[in-house]
Amino acid sequence: MKIDRMRWAIRFAALVLPMTWPGALSAQLQGTARAVAFGVVVRTATVNQTTPSAVLPSDGSLAQDQASDVLVASFVTAHDAFATATGADDGTQSDAVSSATLGTVNILNGLITADGVVAMASSTVGNSNAEGSSLANLVVNGVQMDDPAPNTRVDLPGTGYAVLNEQIPTTGGITVNMIHVVLQQPILDLFGGVTGYQTMGEIIVGSATTGVN
Amino acid sequence: MSNLRSLAGVTATVAVALAGWSCEPQHTPLAPSIGTPRFNFFVFQCQPLKMTGGGRIDFPPGGPDKNPPASHEYETFGAHVMSSGQLDANGTTCLADKGELEWVDHRPEMELNGHPLNLHATAVTFAELAVDAPHCTDGAVHWGGTLRVQNTGQENLDFEVFDCDAGEPGVGQDGFAIRVIEPIDGIGHYEVTCEPDVSPAEPTCTLTGGNRQFHPTH
Repeated sequence: MKIDRMRWAIRFAALVLPMTWPGALSAQLQGTARAVAFGVVVRTATVNQTTPSAVLPSDGSLAQDQASDVLVASFVTAHDAFATATGADDGTQSDAVSSATLGTVNILNGLITADGVVAMASSTVGNSNAEGSSLANLVVNGVQMDDPAPNTRVDLPGTGYAVLNEQIPTTGGITVNMIHVVLQQPILDLFGGVTGYQTMGEIIVGSATTGVN
Repeated sequence: MSNLRSLAGVTATVAVALAGWSCEPQHTPLAPSIGTPRFNFFVFQCQPLKMTGGGRIDFPPGGPDKNPPASHEYETFGAHVMSSGQLDANGTTCLADKGELEWVDHRPEMELNGHPLNLHATAVTFAELAVDAPHCTDGAVHWGGTLRVQNTGQENLDFEVFDCDAGEPGVGQDGFAIRVIEPIDGIGHYEVTCEPDVSPAEPTCTLTGGNRQFHPTH
């Protein structure tokens, strides 16, 4: 009887005591790292392509993919694209870093061009940022744009709009899309008036996502 | 009852002894091959460690500020290394259990075959804790192995990395540096290291993006 009580007490202590150790509970709640990067993604009714792409492996090491030349129909051409995802699950010391870099980029037959794209995301517990991201020699619809501020929107008449240096906070992390084109077509009324716009697809060039939960 | 108590006592004693033994740092250093005088990364310990993450350096100069994007004067990388703190049979090299390095130098003058210089570690063989880099408050590691130049297929080049975690966030604080020991065909000697007037944790260059994360395994 006493032995049974002792066993029960040991089991109880084994379950409860670790939770009282400093940081143990938070380490259980925080500690899953995620990192994803890709160079180019095109999603339309007829095209669904992502290349190159890297996803942090479950063992928390490193993934890397690259493509010397990227051609997605008439939507995007790009050169020297690299995608890297790295990090580790380690409780309160978990970390994740991802990056996508590209050389020359041409979107929609010259509507948007750039010759150096860097998307970089970094997360640790309680801290995520897009530092290190940049766009070089960006020209949008004939207009040079230097170092656009986060979430700069530019209308593209007849095509839709673009969000430059798009930064989207997520739970415990961040997504950075350096060039995000939303393809739209107008919705017309019976008299040809525009009543709204319908999204037909999207193009993303240079994307990095990280998070630690 | 008394047997159970005795067993618990012995088990606890053994567990404490094992934990203490396994956490005891081994102080045998691995002497790095270095070419120039430095302020940091001279004194090493062989002990369990892990360093993960990646980032961006804007070298030259390698300081905390980004170069103008149009200059393309930057490097990006992902890298991790892990060691259980075991010396090799000769007792001179602190062995790495595993590791990876992917390095891209985007500088136009470093292009090979029309593409950015791309280095890929084929083996990570050593990793040791640097104990003389006080700026790297969370941990500093010297590690390396052999790599391949992806542009040309040139193989088996020895390299070393100086790796610094100086807290969060990594940008503006953490550091990273790489030196390839043998010449790279078409480039010659290659290293991205920074002077003390650029980086407080010489020879590392300060990250302009990303993070290095030191994981003490004890």
